[in-house]
Amino acid sequence: MNWWEFWKSGKAKTDFVQSYLEVNAQPIPGIRSIDQLIFTILDTETTGLDPAKDRVLSFGALRIQHGKILINQSVEWYPESEISGKNTVAIHELVEIQNRITTDDFARKFLGYIGSSILVGHHVGFDLEILKNCLKPFGLSYFPNPVIDTFYLAIRLEHGPQADLSRIKRENYSLDALCKKYEIEPDDRHTASGDAFLTALLFIKLLKIARQKGIITYEALLR
Amino acid sequence: MNVIVNRVAEFLKRFPPFSFLDKEDLQTVAQQVEIQYLEKGETLFTQGEPARPSFFVLKEGTIHLVESTAKGDEIREICDEGDVFGVLALLGKRPYLLTSKVTENSLVYAIPVDVFEKILEKNSRVALFFAAGFAAGQVVVRQDLSQGQKARGEFKKPTGDHSLMIFSDQYEVKVSEKVLTCGPNDSIQTAAKLMSTAQVSSIIICDYSNFPLGILTDKDLRTRVLALGISPDLPVSQVMTQPVITRKKSDGFGNLYLTMIRNRLHHLVLTEDGTDRSPVCGLISDHDIFLSMGNSPAVLIHALMNTLDVGEMRKIRDRAEQMLRYYLENEVSMEFVASVMTEINDVIITQALEIGKNNLASDFPGMNQVPFCFLSLGSEGREEQLLRTDLDNAILYADTSESQSERAKEYFLKLGEQVIEVLLACGFDPCPAKMMANNPEWVQPLSIWKEYFSEWIMRPTPEALLKSSIFFDFRPVKGNSSLAEELTRHIYEEIRKKKAFLSFMGQNALQNPPPLGFFKDFMVEKTGEHKDHFDIKARAMMPLTDLARLLTLSHEMVGINNTFKRFEKLAEIEPNYADLFQQAGKAYEILMRMRALEGIEHQNSGRYLNPKSLGKIQRQLLKNTFSPISELQEIIQIRFQLDYFRR
Repeated sequence: MNWWEFWKSGKAKTDFVQSYLEVNAQPIPGIRSIDQLIFTILDTETTGLDPAKDRVLSFGALRIQHGKILINQSVEWYPESEISGKNTVAIHELVEIQNRITTDDFARKFLGYIGSSILVGHHVGFDLEILKNCLKPFGLSYFPNPVIDTFYLAIRLEHGPQADLSRIKRENYSLDALCKKYEIEPDDRHTASGDAFLTALLFIKLLKIARQKGIITYEALLR
Repeated sequence: MNVIVNRVAEFLKRFPPFSFLDKEDLQTVAQQVEIQYLEKGETLFTQGEPARPSFFVLKEGTIHLVESTAKGDEIREICDEGDVFGVLALLGKRPYLLTSKVTENSLVYAIPVDVFEKILEKNSRVALFFAAGFAAGQVVVRQDLSQGQKARGEFKKPTGDHSLMIFSDQYEVKVSEKVLTCGPNDSIQTAAKLMSTAQVSSIIICDYSNFPLGILTDKDLRTRVLALGISPDLPVSQVMTQPVITRKKSDGFGNLYLTMIRNRLHHLVLTEDGTDRSPVCGLISDHDIFLSMGNSPAVLIHALMNTLDVGEMRKIRDRAEQMLRYYLENEVSMEFVASVMTEINDVIITQALEIGKNNLASDFPGMNQVPFCFLSLGSEGREEQLLRTDLDNAILYADTSESQSERAKEYFLKLGEQVIEVLLACGFDPCPAKMMANNPEWVQPLSIWKEYFSEWIMRPTPEALLKSSIFFDFRPVKGNSSLAEELTRHIYEEIRKKKAFLSFMGQNALQNPPPLGFFKDFMVEKTGEHKDHFDIKARAMMPLTDLARLLTLSHEMVGINNTFKRFEKLAEIEPNYADLFQQAGKAYEILMRMRALEGIEHQNSGRYLNPKSLGKIQRQLLKNTFSPISELQEIIQIRFQLDYFRR
């Protein structure tokens, strides 16, 4: 590696970022059936709500493949963070975790884990924004993966693709509210993996509804 | 620890067999779970399809296991939360025998077979769960009932009553390892001093090899030394109780305790090999047992033996029923439970006879010299009467000189009446057919009893066969048992003369109504007071009792009345059918337990069960008990050539 490349801070792509981008180079064919898709359902707990300043305290995710949640592919990581977020700690009761991993380790593991899967989360935009900041030092500026926000998916399945978001009560589509609506036993503790699990349960239920509405391909799902 | 795996584990551990896993195994299983969501109308697997590499647990929703038959679809099982199904993959790796239809949106946890196989190997409770056929829709060709019975024990709710745990676990036996001993030539006073210093109520007298010669207790010091004014300088061997009854520790607490109850021992000496020709290694005293248990058999029997007050006896018998309930709920072995209850009932009869004799003594001088034997018949005769259901008993007395015969008849009839009155007052129900010791027909001298049995054997009319089913199970409770032995000898002689009698009995044994209908559902009563209830006595227990009795008579077995013990013995005599007989015995124990629990629950005879009120496990367990019946009936059919008979 040349020293000036390293000096152009953030632009240099580390090897694991490189290989991550390579597996994402091939787009998913639009007609692929939803059963054949691989989803990563994720959630994060952060030091705050400002993606520019705040950092990831914990990351939890699971995989859905062939329409099944695979528990053995669930992960839970606690990356190191310099910023101490006292407020968030209070909200989530996230006490100091012993086995934190370095940001370097986290970045590698994270990209290796998500690969070219479809990223799913509730208000997942925020999580991805903050995760992107984690990945910036390693040369990644965006996530090429397809993304599904269960917040929008739920609204779309109820109100149709042309729904006017300004006329929809957002609080009816919070994760808690949706869990209640779809009879998912909520977890009393807010943890990244706990919420990811709830989101995964919500998502497999939403996929059934989508199927009934004739949404059976990747193309139709991501529209 | 991964929060997600934890949540899955939290759910699983609420249900068997996962509730039997330790934390580590549970984590391993939870880690491998795959979660699937199915909408109403979908099918998870289809009949005839090869088994998947997973079995399933229903997290939420409803799934029907359906069998497609020529007549259309038959629902075999309805699964709801926590039910385990599709386990054929786990056991037999055969194609599915049923189709799983989702009737309400369902969340299903799939558990890969390979993770579980490892656990099956090391966790016997989990293996039992599956072996017993408790998983939904699991068709096990031949149920192993001993497993079913054991497994059932695993599902009991912990009652938190540790005083009774002592029965199921011999490691909890409180045995005094340090036993106070002295030599046979030590003086009585030396022995008393040793006891006083050690603050114990007994001392064992041993020879130089520490083999037990006798035992001396506080009571002995009172009654045999002080009361008689014997010199305390005499050697202790002159006043000790000998020989001592000994057992070995590994006999298990149930057996040890039964020995104490039967022999009315306050102290039981344990030796290395269980005989008095080996060193003393421990002592169990009833005092320890009294302290650890409120309603213990020893306490109740002791109390019964010390009262002739009928009101008091009734109270004690009621307490015994409380104790029975604990035993049944705590899955104490049926042999122990039945023995204890029989002993209690027998003590009541003994006391009742005592009351009767006392009351009649002045009116019938000399009559108490006539040998007699009080017989229990039917279930009490078989030592199977747990509840106070109908009394069946009789009196057998020795033949007297002609001049005395009228007087004897009157005396024993009066004695029978006295006994029956006491028993009724103690809460027993009278026999509707009046087969009781207050019926002149059933209070007879030996010669008449012999005639009765000869008549039944020679002319097996339907009525005679009905009587046989009750009278052939007679058991001497109190009195001169040699009279009963002579009667038994007579019966076998008569049967040898007329072998065909057994065929008639066999025919009778096959006439019991079947337990299951064409669609493997319980055959319930169609009309009457017990409409829609299952008659566990007539449909499940009587066939087994009848079959056991028939086989017992055909082998001329003596002294074994208990149905499950009869089957145990038959298993020994006929090793080629050992498995079947053992299963039949276990089945009978399970049925006794179910009936007694039902009876206690509803304060009735427990004879009629409502199949709808039974839990899934109980229903399965009950059905499993039926399978030995039909197999036994086939054997009987061939052995006693009943097909020929029926024509």
